[in-house]
Order: sequence, then structure tokens, then C-alpha cells
Amino acid sequence: MTTPAAKTTPVPGESGGPGAPARPKELTDLAVMIGGQGGDGTLTVSDLLGRYFRKRGLYIYTSRNVLSRIRGGHADATMRASRDPVAAVKPDVELIVAFDKEAAEIGRSELSPDGAILYDSSVFQLDLPNSVGFPFATLVGGAVGQPIFKNTAAYGAISVMMGFDPTQTRAVIEERFTRRGPEALEKNLKALEIGRKAALEVPGLADRWHVADGEAQHQILTIGNQAVALGFVVGGGRFFAGYPITPATEIMEYLMRYLPAFHGVVRQAEDELAAVNMIIGAAYAGARVMTSTSGPGLSLMTEGIGHAGTAEVPILVADCQRVGPSTGEPTRHEQSDLAHLAHLGHGEYPRVIVAPGTVEDCFEITIEALNLAERWRLPVILLLDQALCQNTTTAEPFNLSKVVVDRGTRLTAEQVAKLDVYQHYQFTPNGVSPYVPPGTPGVFSQVTGNEHNEMGHVSVNPVNRVKMMEKRMGKLIHIVPELPVPHLFGDERAKIGIIGYGSTFGPIREAQGALDRAGVKTRFYNARTLFPVPKESLDPFLSAMDVVYVVEHNYTGQFADLIRSALPQHHAKLRSIRKYDGDSFRSPEIVAPIQGGQ
Amino acid sequence: MVQSVKPVASTWCPGCGDFGVLAAVKKAVAEAGVPVHEEVLVGGIGCSGGIHNFIETNGIHALHGRLLAQAVGIKLSNPGLTVIAAGGDGDGYAIGMGHFMHAFKKNVSLLYIVMNNETYGLTKGQASPTSRIGYEGNIEHPFDAILTALSIPVPNFIARTFSGDPKTMIQVLVEAIKFNRANHGFAFVEDLSPCVTYNDTFKDWRARVVDVATLPGYNPADRQTMFRLCVETMQAGKIPIGVMHRPAAPDPSSPGLELKLLPDKIGPARADIGLESNRVAYEKLLRTAA
Repeated sequence: MTTPAAKTTPVPGESGGPGAPARPKELTDLAVMIGGQGGDGTLTVSDLLGRYFRKRGLYIYTSRNVLSRIRGGHADATMRASRDPVAAVKPDVELIVAFDKEAAEIGRSELSPDGAILYDSSVFQLDLPNSVGFPFATLVGGAVGQPIFKNTAAYGAISVMMGFDPTQTRAVIEERFTRRGPEALEKNLKALEIGRKAALEVPGLADRWHVADGEAQHQILTIGNQAVALGFVVGGGRFFAGYPITPATEIMEYLMRYLPAFHGVVRQAEDELAAVNMIIGAAYAGARVMTSTSGPGLSLMTEGIGHAGTAEVPILVADCQRVGPSTGEPTRHEQSDLAHLAHLGHGEYPRVIVAPGTVEDCFEITIEALNLAERWRLPVILLLDQALCQNTTTAEPFNLSKVVVDRGTRLTAEQVAKLDVYQHYQFTPNGVSPYVPPGTPGVFSQVTGNEHNEMGHVSVNPVNRVKMMEKRMGKLIHIVPELPVPHLFGDERAKIGIIGYGSTFGPIREAQGALDRAGVKTRFYNARTLFPVPKESLDPFLSAMDVVYVVEHNYTGQFADLIRSALPQHHAKLRSIRKYDGDSFRSPEIVAPIQGGQ
Repeated sequence: MVQSVKPVASTWCPGCGDFGVLAAVKKAVAEAGVPVHEEVLVGGIGCSGGIHNFIETNGIHALHGRLLAQAVGIKLSNPGLTVIAAGGDGDGYAIGMGHFMHAFKKNVSLLYIVMNNETYGLTKGQASPTSRIGYEGNIEHPFDAILTALSIPVPNFIARTFSGDPKTMIQVLVEAIKFNRANHGFAFVEDLSPCVTYNDTFKDWRARVVDVATLPGYNPADRQTMFRLCVETMQAGKIPIGVMHRPAAPDPSSPGLELKLLPDKIGPARADIGLESNRVAYEKLLRTAA
């Protein structure tokens, strides 16, 4: 067999073109973008690289850019490996692996000045500087019989370019493909060698970069959606109903695996109307419950969430935000549901919105949210976003050290038997009435979304209406000391503040680092309770600052607006940094406006 | 006993068909031997949906059209409860149609009673999904829930009753509740319950109802036969009532959904969710999941 020649174009700069002596560039932080048509196996390459770098103790962050279709169409993934913990997409990319022309075109703008493009020249030709073409599909098709293994060949070529340890490179393949049977493993190992050999034959290509080993050993690789599902289980959640919707579906899929072992039930409902009403029924009966959805489903659930608010049924609704409105961009990132959630539904009722900033926090806040819902008998919204839900991150292993299950006042049959009267909506100083699950001997409960008296009977009595409104709405005042507190980062004496929630955590932390190196001190308020607006912590934070930037993914500055209306006295200090192109922030997009004093 | 619920006076018009359902439900629950505290009544929105307020029992007043979803959530959360959902034809066949169809597919062992009066009484007499052509200007074809139910091959219980025949109604409801309590699956009973104010059909229906059990070839285990008998009865200008379907024998391999999900019947509401009692299993989950 003759090996088709690799096509290369000269690489400028000191590393020289093909034939120039290799001088590896030492890196502590690297990003590789892999793109191609759906079915090209781009995610496999990303996964293999992630596995290798984890063996070397590096932190991983992987983001995906996929279309809302099953097969075909362009898809890409960007894998970042770093010596330091990372929770953001790297602003520039060292290497683009292109199985289609689109990958090179999309990735070029983020390619670092001395970066390279590795592409499959059996599919297309590139005449870009820094590009190296290998006919991966043809090479592998000839030797293995199936061009599909081209992705493993590409991994082989990358391993040469980055000076990977050959034994560990091979171990990654064994780890990943042993499960698929000896034939699949053998073919992948063959493809790996084809890729390695092809790359070694090109002078000057080997050892272009070296990534220093790191110290991340015990960490796990996970996504926010998995952290939410795990938090739900250990927080005592036992009933889940949902409807498949990107980017929330993984929560339901994980729970389908986890919950049956714990007397739990997961149901895929006929629609979001059913999902939210099923959890209302289950919560009324006494279970800890959750549903998860995204914008379009949230719109349908709005009716049910209001019902839970006035009927005082504790439910948890996870909203994995994506680009809206309508179908929007199902697979893309945005934070544009907050304004809707803060005012959700017709009429007035109390609701709490909490928002984790990291995958570790997803686990923690889910548990807190379950406690808040049951203790205060109201709907709690767990506000997430696509990047937090679906981007793969190296995280500290989840543990039970902070887990508390607090169900509030829940009367047993013995406690009830001592009462003369039990009323499901009894007036109390903090607005929370003791709960008795239906099925408890000797007592009944009546629950309704109509306005009702203490006994749960429909009532339009004006005196009762006022008292009931005050009972429910008053919970938002009494609950404040129990709400998740913000996490603060950066210089305590800084006069420049940054406020953000959700996945903006990572880019903001990275921007703080860059600003600090440029001599600009900042203080970051990572909001974990968004509604009721946490005035108690925001007011002193804003008071201490000269200027505060609210970083969020929407057009109108929804969180900034909520803060402005809650704390109008700080209006003049607030600036907005917004992004609404469907992609998450890169740290320079936060650094630039702050440095520019905009 | 703790004073917890005082039934309130009904809001229905004198002579309303729903009174028949209220009386029959009370009697049937007692006759089926349901401990009162294990009963949960799920009411819809509309005149009929207030039914849970008029009985001393556990009750949840659902959103319009969503009572079946809430009823399913209750039963799957605590299979020990006897769950009866009751609402009107607008609630079940218009705004709640999606949940109605899926209730057959899910086959959760709960009883769903639709009080069909062929009108929207509470909003003063608009046409409903079951209204005849010509009623309040209706030009759409009326929906027949029994034919629809018979067309879905699921081991369940299907019947139609008439508020003018309370004795039969009680018998049917007792059988339906026992079917549920044995975890055999979903029970659907449509009751013809005239609205005396906006669509008083008592006389007309009394003259037209035909008990399917009196028809030659009656066999409620055979859907095809029952579908034919119903269509023939309707073509003759009559209204078929009676037990429309029950399985010939319980099929242990295909019980109600709650039993498929929770073989030991300890559901989410009764599960021990304490941290200490689950610690070992949780630690294993966290170790192996991520």
C-alpha cells in the first residue's frame, strides 16, 4: 500500500515550516477544537484527548457546538486542558482538527497566532497558513477497511504533535474501546498507529507543544445536569416528571438510572403541562419532587407553577436556559428567562429563584432548594443555563458532608391525634402551615388553587383574601435568612465590582485574573439567590463599590434591571456587560469593557 | 377524630345530575371498604370539579384540565391511596384531552369519573366537546369518549352510567374502585349528568339509554364486540350505557403502572429519605456515578 502524501503549508514564526527543527512550546493551558459533520466522531476525539490529559493531572473543560438534529450537519467540540481549575471556554485555540471545511472556517477566528489546523485531506483541501492535511479517512479506510476510525487516527496524529507518552496514549484507546469488543479495540489501535506514523513522517510536526503535567488526580469529570440529578437523589428527591427538551434532558436520563433503587419514580410525561402537574400531585401526597425543562417547557409550566404557589405545594423546577423565545436555538446558550421567572404567571404568589455557579454548586444548591421548597411550601426555581448544564468540567467529587434534609413541619399521625383541629392552610406567624400527608389516619387535607380559607375550602371573603395573600407573600420576607448566600471573590478593597450568576462564574473568575495581572482590582459577587433580590448582601456590596458590572447573557440586562428596581439608590453605579449570540463569554469580553471603563 | 374538613354546602343547581354522582361516590367508597383517610378526591374545574368540597375526605382541586396529571402523581407517589379524579366533559375532553388519552396509555390504577352534561354550565351554556350539532350553534361533531376508550387496547375498566339510575352507578363505581385497589389498572367511568339549567336532557336521555348488558352477544372482555354494539346502538338513536370493558381475568404480567414501578408499593411519598438511613447507598452512588 502506498501512503498518500501529507499536504502541508508552511508554518510561520520561529517554530518554522515542515523540516524546521522542532522546538516544543511549553503550555500550561491548551485548547483543541475538533469539528466535522455529525457522525464524524468529533466528540470521540475530544473524549480521547480529555482522557489522556486527565491521566496527566490536568483540569478539563469541554464545550460543544451541536445542531438540533440527530445526524449530519456540522458539529464541533472544544476541549480545554489546564493545570489550574477551569470553568470557561479558552479565548484562543491552539489546534483545530477539521473533518469538514466548516470546522476550519468556524474555528479560525479563535486560532492562536502560532496555532495549527489539522484536517482530513481525503475530504477537502485547505490553503490556509498553519494547516496540515492528512488523508485520515483514506488511510484508515485502506488499512482497517472502515474510514469511520479516522477520528482515532487523528488522535494518533495529535499525540505526536503534542509529544504524548506513547504508552498512555495507547492506554486511553484500550480504556475507551475494550468495552466494544476485541475487534473494535484492534481496529482502533491500528488506526491510532496509522495516525501516529503519518504525523511522524512529516518533518517538524512532532513535539510542537508540550503541556505540563498537573496535579488534578482525584477529581471527577461531570456536567451540571448530572450534579443536579445527584443532588436531587441525596437531597431526598424521589419523584421526577419531565418532558425531553434540550438542554435539560440529561437530568431526567440520569434520574431514570438513579431513582428506582430508592423507591423513587421518574416519568416521562406527555407534555410539560402534565409534568408539572404530576409533580404537584406527588408533592401533595408527600414526596420530594422536581421537574426540569427549558424555555418553551417553562412557558407551558407557568400555569402549574402558579397553582403550586397559591395551593402551597412544594415543587422544584429546574430551568436549563437556552436561546429563546419560541424554539429559539435549542442547543445554544443564553440567560434570558430570569425576567419571566421573577414575575412568572398571572396573579401574585411567592417563588424563590436560586442559581448555582459551578457544577459543585449545582449539587449543593439543588439540596438547599429541596429544603426551601418543603420548609416554606412554595415553588422554587433552580435556574441553570446551557453551558453549566452540558459543558464537561473537572470537579471535586461530590460528598455528603454538607447534606441536610429538612422537611419543615410535617406532622405524624401521633402528633395529629393530639390536635382538636387541623387546618391545611392554618394562619401562622411565618405563613407556613403544618403539613400532614394524605393517608394519615384520622385527618384530612383539602388543597386548592382557588382562593380558600384555612380549611382549604373555596372562599371569596375579602377579609380572608387579604389574610391569605399576606400569609403567602409574607413567606418571601421570612425566608430571607435561609436563602443561599452569595460567594465573593477577589480583592476586598476593590472599588470595581462584578456581579454574575450561573456559568458566567468561570469567565468572570478568569477575567478577574487577567485584570489583576493588569493591575485592576475587582470584587466578584457570585449571586446564588436571584429572587427575592438579595438586597441584604447586595446593598453593602454595591455601597462599597464605585462601579459595578452585571455580566449576563441576554439583550436587555435582566438581572441588572431586577437589581436596579430593588435597590434604586445604586442605579448610577450599575453597568451592564451582555452577550446574546448563543455562545458563552470568553474572558476578554469581560476584561475589555472593565479596562476601558465602559 | 381531629376536626380537619367540614363538607360545605354544594354549589350545584337543584336537580343537577352531579348530585347523583356525589351520592354514588360516597356509597361506593364505603361499600368498597376504602378507609376514609386513604381516599383522595381530585377535582377539576367546572361545576363538577367542586365535588371534593362536598365530602369529608382528602381532596385536591386541580387546574382546569390537569386533574388526571395530578391524580397520576398522587397515585405513583403513594400507591396505598385510593385516588378518584372527577371533572366535567370540558375539563376532560377539551382542555384536558392530551392527559385523557395518555391516562389510558399510562394505565395507573385510579378512577376517573367524567360528569358529561354536553355543555359548559359554569360559564353559562357554551357548546362542549360532546355537544350535539345544533346546540348553541355547534357545527362540530360530538366526541364520544367510550368509543375512544374502547379503541385503546389496555387492560382497564370502562363504563358509562346515567345519573338517573343511581343504583347501577353505585354498582359500577364499586367495581371500578375494587379494580383500582387490586392494582389492575385505570378505570374510566363517564356519567351522563344533565345540566338542568343549560342543557336539561334528563327526559331525553332516560328515553334513549340502553344497557349494553341486555344486548345479544354482550361480552365486555371483547373490545371489538363492544365497539360494534355501541356503534349500532348509537346508529339506532340510542345511548349505550353499562360496563363497556373489563378484562376476562386479571393479567398479573400487566398490572397498573404503580405496581410495575413500585412492586413493594413503597412509593416516593413513603420512602425514608433520611440521610443516615441512605448513607451507604448514597456514598456508593456518588462514587460510581461520576
